[in-house]
Amino acid sequence: MLLQILNGLVYGGLLYILAVGLVLIFGLRRVVNFAHGSLFMVGAYVGYAIATYFGNFWVGLLVSVALLAALGVFLDAVVFRPLQREDPIVTVLVTFGILLVLEDAVRTIWGKDFLSLKPPEALAGTVQILGESFPTYRLFVIVLAAAVAIGLSLWLRMSRIGLFVRASSVDRTTTAILGVNTDRVSIIVVAAGAALAGLSGTVSAPLLALSPSMGSFILIDSFIVVVVGGLGSFSGAFFAALIIGQLHNFGVVYVPSAATMIPFLLMVGILIWRPAGFAGQHV
Amino acid sequence: MSQPSERIALPAAPRLALVSRQVWLALGIAIVAGSMLPLVVTSTLAITLLTQAVIGGILATAVGLVIRQTGLVSFGHAAFFGLAGYFIALPAKHGLWPLELSIVLAIAMPTLLAFLLGLVIVRIPGVAFSMITLAIGQAFHEFAVRARLVTGGDDGLAINLPRTVFGVATEVFQRPQTMFVICWVALVGLLFGLHLLVRSRFGRVTTAIRENEERARFLGYQTVVPRALIFALSALIGSIAGTLFALYNGFVSPESLHWSLSGSALIMAIVGGTRLLWGPALGAVVFFFFKDVAGDLTEHWPAMIGFMLIVVTVALPTGIGGALTKLFDRIRPAGVRRDG
Repeated sequence: MLLQILNGLVYGGLLYILAVGLVLIFGLRRVVNFAHGSLFMVGAYVGYAIATYFGNFWVGLLVSVALLAALGVFLDAVVFRPLQREDPIVTVLVTFGILLVLEDAVRTIWGKDFLSLKPPEALAGTVQILGESFPTYRLFVIVLAAAVAIGLSLWLRMSRIGLFVRASSVDRTTTAILGVNTDRVSIIVVAAGAALAGLSGTVSAPLLALSPSMGSFILIDSFIVVVVGGLGSFSGAFFAALIIGQLHNFGVVYVPSAATMIPFLLMVGILIWRPAGFAGQHV
Repeated sequence: MSQPSERIALPAAPRLALVSRQVWLALGIAIVAGSMLPLVVTSTLAITLLTQAVIGGILATAVGLVIRQTGLVSFGHAAFFGLAGYFIALPAKHGLWPLELSIVLAIAMPTLLAFLLGLVIVRIPGVAFSMITLAIGQAFHEFAVRARLVTGGDDGLAINLPRTVFGVATEVFQRPQTMFVICWVALVGLLFGLHLLVRSRFGRVTTAIRENEERARFLGYQTVVPRALIFALSALIGSIAGTLFALYNGFVSPESLHWSLSGSALIMAIVGGTRLLWGPALGAVVFFFFKDVAGDLTEHWPAMIGFMLIVVTVALPTGIGGALTKLFDRIRPAGVRRDG
C-alpha cells in the first residue's frame, strides 16, 4: 500500500513538472503548447544520448535542461511571439505541427525501438521505508518534484520576474500597460517551461521506455492535470497532478484494462461540477 | 431547443432561398461525375487512394463542421470514427444481431454519446476544449488497447460480414471501384444536408452563438444545447465515416481510435479551409495525395505534413478552399457571393 502511494507520487511528480511548464506558458501567452509532450520526449532522448556518451547521468540531465531551455527561447521567438495577436487556436495548430516534426526527427535519429537508460549509480540501490524496500531513484524523483514545486513557488512569490509572471497571468494587458516588458518575461518563462519539460523527460528516462510516442502519452495526462486543476493555476496543477498520479497508479494495479478511463472520468466529473477546473475562475 | 420567437418578437429574418439553382446544379454534377469517375480512372491504386480520401473527407467534414458552427477545435474525432467500427465488429464477432442493426447502432450510439458529452464540454471555451477532446479520444484508444479480451487489443478484430448488407452484396462495399461511388454519394449527400442546415434557423442560431455566446444568451437563446447538437451531428458524420471504413476494410483496430487519426482529420479540415462546408473534404484529397507523393519520395512524410499544417495555418488562414474561392471571385467580379 505504501509502495503504491509512493509510486503514485513518482508519476504525479513527473506529471507535475511537465504540467507546470504548460501552466507557466499559458499564464504569459494564453496559449497551450501542444508540442510540450514532444519537448519532454526530446529531453528524454537528449538526456539518454549524452548520459550514455559520457557515462554520466548528471551530465545528460544538465545538457538536456540547458538545450531544452534554448529550444524554449527559440520557440518563443519564432512561434509564440509572432502569433500572439492571432487566435490562440492558431498557436495550438502550429505547435501541433511542431509535434509531428519533432517526433519524426527523433524517430529518424534514434529509431523506433524502445531504448532505456540506467539510473545513476549513486541512486541505483533501494532504501528501506517503514520496512518496505523502495528504489532510491524513485525516491529521488519524488524529492526532485517537491523541490521544483517549492523552488517554483518561491521564485513566483519572491522574485521580480515571479511578480510579473503572476501579474501577467491575472491580466496581461494591464501588466503590459504598467510597463512590464511581457515579451522579455515571456522568453524567460517559456525557456523555464521547456527546461522543466526537459528535466521531466530526462528524469523519466530510467523509469519509462524511450520511444518517439512517449511524448504524446504523457502530454494527454498532463492536459488532464492542467484542465482539472484549472488552466493557469499553479496550485491547481500541483494538486491535480498528485491526484492523477495516485489514480493512475491504483488503476494500473487494480483495474488495468480501465486504468486510463479513471482520470478521464474524474476529469468529466470535475468539469460538470466546475467547468473551469477546481482552481480556475475562468478558462 | 428553445424557440425564442414564441416569447420575444424578433424582426423577421430576410428570407434566403434555401437551395439556389447553382447548388442544385453542383449537386447533380457532383453525383454524376463522381459516379463516372471509376470508369475513367482505371488504376486500382488511384481509386483505392480516392476511396480512402473520400472516407477521410467525411471525417474531416465532421471536424470542420464543429469548427465552422461553434469555433471549437476537436482533437478527438477518431473516437466516434473508431467506436462505429467496434459497434459493427463486436456484435458480428459474437453473432448477436444482424449487421444492419449494428450499422444503425454504430451511427446512433456515438451520436448519443457525443450529445451527452457535448452538454458538458461545449461550455469549455477555446484551447481547453481541444485539450479535453484529445484526452477523451485517447481514453477510448487506451481502453481498446488494454481490454484485450473484449476488443482483441492491438491486433484488432476482423469483421464477419454476411453475404449481403441491406440487400446489397457485401463485395460491393469492399471493391474500391464500387465503394468509391457509395462513399462519394454519401459525402455529397452529407454536404448537401449541411448546406441546408447552416442556412436553416438552427444553423444561423449556432453561427450567432459562435460569434458571441454571451450576446446570444442575452437575446434569449439557449446556447449549450445547440452547440451540443452540433457536436452530436458532427459525431454522426464521423461515425458514418467509421462505418464506411469498417465495411470497406472488414477490420477494426485501435489505430482507428488513435489521436493521430483525429489529428489527421483536423489537418485535412484546416488545410482545406473550414469556412466552406466542402473545404475539409478538399483538404482530405490534398492530404491523401500529398501523403502518397511524399511517402514515395521520403520517409519523413509525418514531418512534411507537420510543415504543411504550419504553413497553411500561418499563410492561408482560410485554407486552400478559401484561397480558391477568393481567386474565383476575383476572376468573376460580378459573381454571386457564395457561402458554404
